[in-house]
Formats: sequence, structure tokens, C-alpha cells
Amino acid sequence: MRPPIKKLVALLAVAISLMSCASIQRAQDQGRVGQIARLINSGEAEKLAAMSAVPFLLDQEIIPLRADIATFWRNVVQAGYKVEGPELERGQPVSADSIRTFADTMEVKAFFARSVKKGARVIELSTSGGRRIVLLVRDTLFSRTLYGFKGPF
Amino acid sequence: MKRSLPARVLLAAALLLTASPAFSIPTDVTYAEGDASIRFKTGKQQTAEIGAVVNTGDMLKTGRDGRVELDQKGVVLKISPNTIFALMERERKGSTTPVLSVALGSIKFRYDKLTGKEPTVQTNGCAMGVRGTEFSVFAGADGSTLVLVDSGSVEVEAEGKTVALAPDEGVEVTLGQGPGEKFAVHRDQVDYSKWNDEKLTAMLADPAAAMTGIEARMASYIASVTEYDGLYRESRQRLDEERKKKTAILEQKGKEEAQKLEEQVISPLAFQTGYLFLNVRYFSLAALSLRRYVGGRMYMFMKSRYIATPAEPAWIEFRGRFDRLLESFEQSVVPQLTAEDI
Repeated sequence: MRPPIKKLVALLAVAISLMSCASIQRAQDQGRVGQIARLINSGEAEKLAAMSAVPFLLDQEIIPLRADIATFWRNVVQAGYKVEGPELERGQPVSADSIRTFADTMEVKAFFARSVKKGARVIELSTSGGRRIVLLVRDTLFSRTLYGFKGPF
Repeated sequence: MKRSLPARVLLAAALLLTASPAFSIPTDVTYAEGDASIRFKTGKQQTAEIGAVVNTGDMLKTGRDGRVELDQKGVVLKISPNTIFALMERERKGSTTPVLSVALGSIKFRYDKLTGKEPTVQTNGCAMGVRGTEFSVFAGADGSTLVLVDSGSVEVEAEGKTVALAPDEGVEVTLGQGPGEKFAVHRDQVDYSKWNDEKLTAMLADPAAAMTGIEARMASYIASVTEYDGLYRESRQRLDEERKKKTAILEQKGKEEAQKLEEQVISPLAFQTGYLFLNVRYFSLAALSLRRYVGGRMYMFMKSRYIATPAEPAWIEFRGRFDRLLESFEQSVVPQLTAEDI
């Protein structure tokens, strides 16, 4: 094999692996959206509370007590809220931009800096009613943690 | 010269550390069970364990099954589940006064002996002068406070009005209002959970009234932050000028004259500047406590109640008022806070 062809093959391999990384990431984000929407729609308040981190970010509010986070999910279910037709819009790692998706305040920045572990993703989804939701999620090998929820807006 | 907030915090702390032995209130954790954690003023967090020491600026939080007992040299604090408690301080009558702040939940205080220099106890809605040896403070979901005295006496102050409680008496304070009528109460017969649930139900039944209380209290805190910040800046500027003057005097008139200026002008001014900054911080942290533990919780309850019906007028009205509250907080209080306060 001549050297320019070798280079081309290597470049192609890198491009394919990057594309598959992006599509794997997207598939994972879709899985996260699907699971959380399913839990809300089937009224699994206890599972949502168990999955939620303490403190928890609700829109621009930092909720410091586990009991309050459990109350939040219980009330959401009691209110009959459903995430209809969830579609993944975009998922991105935590960055200055994605932090602003929640709120551009010192409190929210401090929350991300102190309470959100490395590897978390900010996931935006749209619903069939045209409203949007933002999730702040982090996966480890065996578990999923929901750090924040914004919307519908 | 404009200093950054952390630099101002350090400067004020340095001024007061050299000036006052009461600057810090070391408090020992003597008992801990269940979900309980300490957040130090540095921002670091750890589980509340027996033997841990908390100081001014630190915060203690208990979860659903958390109980903690603190010993602060003569006063024992029994912290109930779902409580948020902070050690603060402020300046009063020219000296540093420790403040035990019950942001949410309930605490029972028991004094072994009274020295006349007891810390002020406060909630988001009122302050208590301790003249008694055993009493309980309950900070409710809507910012209301319930104070019950077992023995001794306690003075409860809110919005400029004071009520003195004797043994087996209690009083309720609604946020943004003075203390109500005092009532007779038998010790250990008050169910805090029931009282708190009633407060929550009333808050959700009339969110507009609850917001009025929060707004009034926030406006009062913001007025104090603005006033003390203005005074602090003036005092700081004068202190800088006097220090420059001292350098010139040292060169022109010698060490003795410079020392005279230090003792007569600079030193008292440094105390005053430190105290003013302490009050700016105290009122800023009190505003943060109100915003987080009363306003933020109310937002959570309202949001979850109306999440499926966001066009409901009650939610739209609440959201508008809440956004305006946040805007004024952002403008006037946030510049006085550090990331570690959050």
C-alpha cells in the first residue's frame, strides 16, 4: 500500500470512529430521555426521587432537601403531568453555554461547579405540544443520576 | 481602589479577628444520627459526625431521618429532621453578636446557665433575644415561626414589635408581620409536622398573601444591605485616606505622630469598617436564606402543582412576582455573596 493511501485509510478510520462516537452518544441521550419520560408518564415518583441527586436543580432553584425533591416528583405525578412525544433535540457535556440553558445566574453556576460531577450531560428535548424540557443527567456503569430538570417552557 | 468580594471578606475577617474574641463560635457535634451534613464556609461538605466542630459561617442540614445535637459551651441545640441551621454573626451596638439561624425546620435550645451574652436566635421571619433556659423554635414552610418556651423567658421581635414569652407560652410570627398574640402551651404537646402542614396548605391556598410576606421581608433585607454597603464603602474610603495620611506623617513628623494617628483614628475606623462589612454580609446571607428556604421551596410547590396547567392565572401571577423577587435579589444581594455561600 502506498503512503498516501495509508494516510487516507487512517483519516477515514478516524472519521468513521468520530461519527460512530457521535451516534453512540446520541443513542445514549435518547435512552436517557426515553427512560425519564417513561418514569414520569407512568407515575413512578419514587423511582424519580431515588434517581435524583441532592441538591437538585429545578429551573433556577436549588432544592437542598431530599424530602422536598420527593415531594416535587410526587406532586408532578399527582398533577397528571405527562411528557408527550419526547424528541431529543440535543445533548451536550456541561459547559458555560449548557449551564446557561438552566439560568445565567451565580447560584446556578455555583451549583454546577460544586454539585454536578464530571461526565454529566445537558439534554434538551421537545414534546409533541411544542414545549421543551432540559435534563441534567449523569450515567455511571450501573446507575443514572438526575441532577436537574427545567421546564416545560 | 475597588476590591473583589473575597478580598473584602478576608479584610473584614482580619480586622475583626484582631479585634474581637467573640468572632468565632466553635460548636461541637455531640450526637448525630441519620442523614445529616455540614457545609463549611469554604464550600466543603462532610457528614455530620460526633466530634466535628462547626464555626461561624458554617451550615448544618438534616434529612428526613437526621438528628444532631450541638454543644456550644453552655447551650445545647437539638436539631430535628429536615432542618437547616447556620451559625452567623452581625454587629450590634459596637460589638460582634453571634446569631443562631434556623432557616427551616425545628431546634430545641437548652441553656445550662445564662451569661447575658447569649447569641441571638433567628428565623427568616423574626429574631429572639434569649432570656430563658429552654425553648423551641420552629421555622415553617411559608416562613412563619413558632416559638415555645419551656422555662425562663424569650423576647421575640419582628417588624419592630416585641413580645416577651414566659414559661409555657408561645407565639406565632407570620412572615413580614409582627408577632401575633401569645398563647398558653403545654410543653411537648405541639406537633411541628402538623403545624408545618397547616402552614403549607394555607400558603398554597393563598399564594398571593404568602408572596406578599416574602416580598416585604426581602425588601427589608435589601434596604439593610444597601444601607450598610453604602456606609461600608464610605468608611473604607476614609480608612484608605487615613492610612495614606499616616505614611506622609511618618515621613514628615516621625513615628510618634504616626502612632498617635493609628491609635486615635485608624484603629477605631478599622473596627467600624469591619463591623459595617459584617452587617452587609449578615443581611445578604439572611436574604439568601429567605430566597432559598422560603421562596425557592414555595416555587417548587407551586411549580409541581401547576406543571400540567401552566396557563392557570394563579401560576402566572405567582411566576411574575417570583421573577421580580429574583431580579431584585440578583441586583442587590448577589453582588455581596461568594460562590461558597450558595
